[in-house]
Amino acid sequence: MWQTFRRWETSATAVLMCGWLVAWPLGVWAQANTSSPSVLRVMTHSSFDLPKPLLARFEQEANVKLQLIQGGDAGEMLNKLILSQAAPVADVVYGIDNTLLPRAVAGGILAPFPQAAGSVAHRPALAHMADTAGPDGVVAGLVPINYGYVNLNIDKAWFAQKGLALPKSLQELSSPAYRGLLVVPNPATSSPGQAFMLATVAGLGEQAAFDWWARMRANGLKVVKGWSEAYYTEFSRNGGSRPIVVSYATSPAAEVFYSKQKISASPTANVFLPGAVFRQVEGAALLKGANPAAQAAGVKFIEFLRSPAVQQALQTRLWMYPAEPGVAPDAVFQHAQEPTQFEAVSLQALTAQAGSWQRRWTQVVLK
Amino acid sequence: MMSTRFSAKATALSRKRRTVLWLAAGPALFALALLVWPVARLLWQGLWGEPMAGLLLDDSVPWWLDAHLQWRVGWTLVQALVTCVLCGVLGLPMAWVLARLEFRGRVAWQRALMLPFVVPTLVAALGILALWGPRGVLGAPLALAGWTLEGSPWMLLLGNLFFNLSLVVRAGMDGLAQVSAQRVAVARTLGATPWRAFWRVEWPVMAPWLASALCLVFLYCFTGFGLALVLGGQHWATVEVEIYTLIAHELALAPAASLAVAMLALTGGMAWAYAWVERRLASPARITPVPRRPVRGLAIWSGWALALGAWLLLCGAPLLALLLQAAQAVGFGQGWEVLREDDTWRAVSNTLRFSGLAMALATALGVLHALAGQAMRRWTPAALAWRASAYAPLVVSPVALAFGLLLLYPQWLASWPLLVAAYALLAYPFVAKALTAALDALPDQYAQAAASLGAGPVRVLWRVTLPLVAPALRRGMAFAAATMLGEFAVSLLLARPEWLTLSTLIYQRLGRPGSANLDAALVLSAGLMALALLAFWLIEGRGEPRRAPHQD
Repeated sequence: MWQTFRRWETSATAVLMCGWLVAWPLGVWAQANTSSPSVLRVMTHSSFDLPKPLLARFEQEANVKLQLIQGGDAGEMLNKLILSQAAPVADVVYGIDNTLLPRAVAGGILAPFPQAAGSVAHRPALAHMADTAGPDGVVAGLVPINYGYVNLNIDKAWFAQKGLALPKSLQELSSPAYRGLLVVPNPATSSPGQAFMLATVAGLGEQAAFDWWARMRANGLKVVKGWSEAYYTEFSRNGGSRPIVVSYATSPAAEVFYSKQKISASPTANVFLPGAVFRQVEGAALLKGANPAAQAAGVKFIEFLRSPAVQQALQTRLWMYPAEPGVAPDAVFQHAQEPTQFEAVSLQALTAQAGSWQRRWTQVVLK
Repeated sequence: MMSTRFSAKATALSRKRRTVLWLAAGPALFALALLVWPVARLLWQGLWGEPMAGLLLDDSVPWWLDAHLQWRVGWTLVQALVTCVLCGVLGLPMAWVLARLEFRGRVAWQRALMLPFVVPTLVAALGILALWGPRGVLGAPLALAGWTLEGSPWMLLLGNLFFNLSLVVRAGMDGLAQVSAQRVAVARTLGATPWRAFWRVEWPVMAPWLASALCLVFLYCFTGFGLALVLGGQHWATVEVEIYTLIAHELALAPAASLAVAMLALTGGMAWAYAWVERRLASPARITPVPRRPVRGLAIWSGWALALGAWLLLCGAPLLALLLQAAQAVGFGQGWEVLREDDTWRAVSNTLRFSGLAMALATALGVLHALAGQAMRRWTPAALAWRASAYAPLVVSPVALAFGLLLLYPQWLASWPLLVAAYALLAYPFVAKALTAALDALPDQYAQAAASLGAGPVRVLWRVTLPLVAPALRRGMAFAAATMLGEFAVSLLLARPEWLTLSTLIYQRLGRPGSANLDAALVLSAGLMALALLAFWLIEGRGEPRRAPHQD
């Protein structure tokens, strides 16, 4: 009796499981087929994150179905777009920044942005994709959406406890007093890492910059693969041993936003040193060879990214500053003061030399 | 008369050959479409393809002339070899203790040997960091004493040991179980000391089992990607990490392709050697195993304590350290908040769905692969190559596969059938491996007896062979399921937000600043580990851990 029951139970479970396994994909398939609006494929980097109601409202107003596709880290995403250019996997891309722009241009994957009166292509932007841009900040079809700063963050408690003064310059940071305190992400595998390297080159000059990196190597510099490792395993605030980390100007605000208790001051702080602040501008663009039917929707999506609602929301989602003028900063951004000075590299220099700087950096710091 | 018999034999042979072809077709086509062709496409693009716009121009020297890459290849070899040696030296005593001694908790330890295999790589790396990292449970006191493991090759080696030591212990136990008690007794009565009896009688029997496990350890360490990425740092990373950097970040396909070809040649040779060693293990003979004895005497007792202690330190403690941190995140941090978020439950449900769907596909492929291997004339080179090919999905560079798929099937890359197929690709080797080993150990007589009583081949398979190998099949499926749950296959393709899985969610939380995110990542990691264990336990079921059918 018991055995019969056991047997029956097992087969019933198996039937249910199979039914579920078959029904689920069929349901997804049916759902995909019944949706009438056209599909807009948007490629983003993996940090892209906007409130779902906002995205749903856009879908309704533009009568399109958004298909968000994440291509990994920004550099990885761009490489995937370049490799698949013969049969593009998306219609619009969001997340190419000013450091990746030369490669995107060389890859020939971006389509020009249509010039319509009143569109974002005519409105001034607070940050420009490159020095060659007009007031709208657009370069090669890439429309600026948001910007941020890559700079040094420090663990306030660590410095207070050790009674060590904050460094005043990069030179000071390479002195023995600051030995073994800094962790940076590898520029080859991390976009903040690359931005920081570019800041040193732009701020100190190429030769002096690589001399500084060589001194830092001798001074116990730690290099990790990406920002997450730097921040979560090496930074002393999160259990590591390094009280200075390459991060973003908004990170102290994020610490307050995601903190355990409501706190009035951030446990970390920005340190803006000359030659150690880089402005990163992220943009969106239409992709060449994309579905022509999706072009109008693609333009609408880029307009949507620059709309006040998104520009407001992205501050605490992407932790970036809005590129659209006149958007009120989020309250928590009082902990993320903007630097007054930052380094810039011309598009021409970036195009011609980014690769060789990268190789030289690897040579000086890692090999 | 002669000629009819001959032709009947020939027809039977050709029928058998046709069966092999039919059985092998499924897994072969699957592996061809999802593994061989994409990787070959990428290698071809890198080595001979027309330069694409935006591709990094290759002005570097070939890898065998570049000192940095030489070092990478050299270190990759060295770390794999060192891990093999350490695993052998540490694993052999542990296997002996487990196989020869009777003590309380032996079965529990034996079951716990499975732990490292069912723990996702990401979780394991976090565990190693939680234990040995600069602020880890043991790392912090060690740092105070002046020993920092951070930035040393030990982090990667400890990670390798965590994953592979139990494999060697397991194989050592299986080997020792094959030693005949009578032969040892005869050796002892003829005056051999215990040491001499071990080296002359027991060692030759168990050596092939150990060798096969060490081959596998070498393969895993040599081609390991996840651990080396997280624990290797910038200096101690392996060639796979270098290939990943070259392809994903620098789009330098040419040097990546030449490196990948060198790696494939080495791993291919190793996989073949493994299949060759493995064939010596198939010994469907009845043996009386050496009886276990109680832990008595100072030497035995201290050996037992050392073996158990070392295993706990290397394989158990990292997981405990991670659980401790997760408990702290729940108790003192905001870890519990993650349990109330929609995303978490969506990730759990997605993880289960993808794994469930892929499980069905992986089981089918694995069973077909094993049956085809069995139907081939056993140890011909073709059969060996077929067996070795089951390891291909485990050793091929994941990033080369990902970008190959992108080149080949850009339009399908954001579709879920390909996602499920990718999961299955990474899981079916576990089913195939377990089943192949069980079929090897199965005496032919059972099937022959059933056939002589009139059962057709399908009936024999369904009523005789499969029930006999069912425990092995369930075990293989359990490994496959545990692997899939923590798998990062989504990252192979283009991820979609609606495909959020637990492992991608952990990475996502680690990608944002703030203590809430770190706490969430820790709790999610502990949850993923629990889920993998639960799946393993449910599928494998209870019962004596892996008893070969002929030992009953």
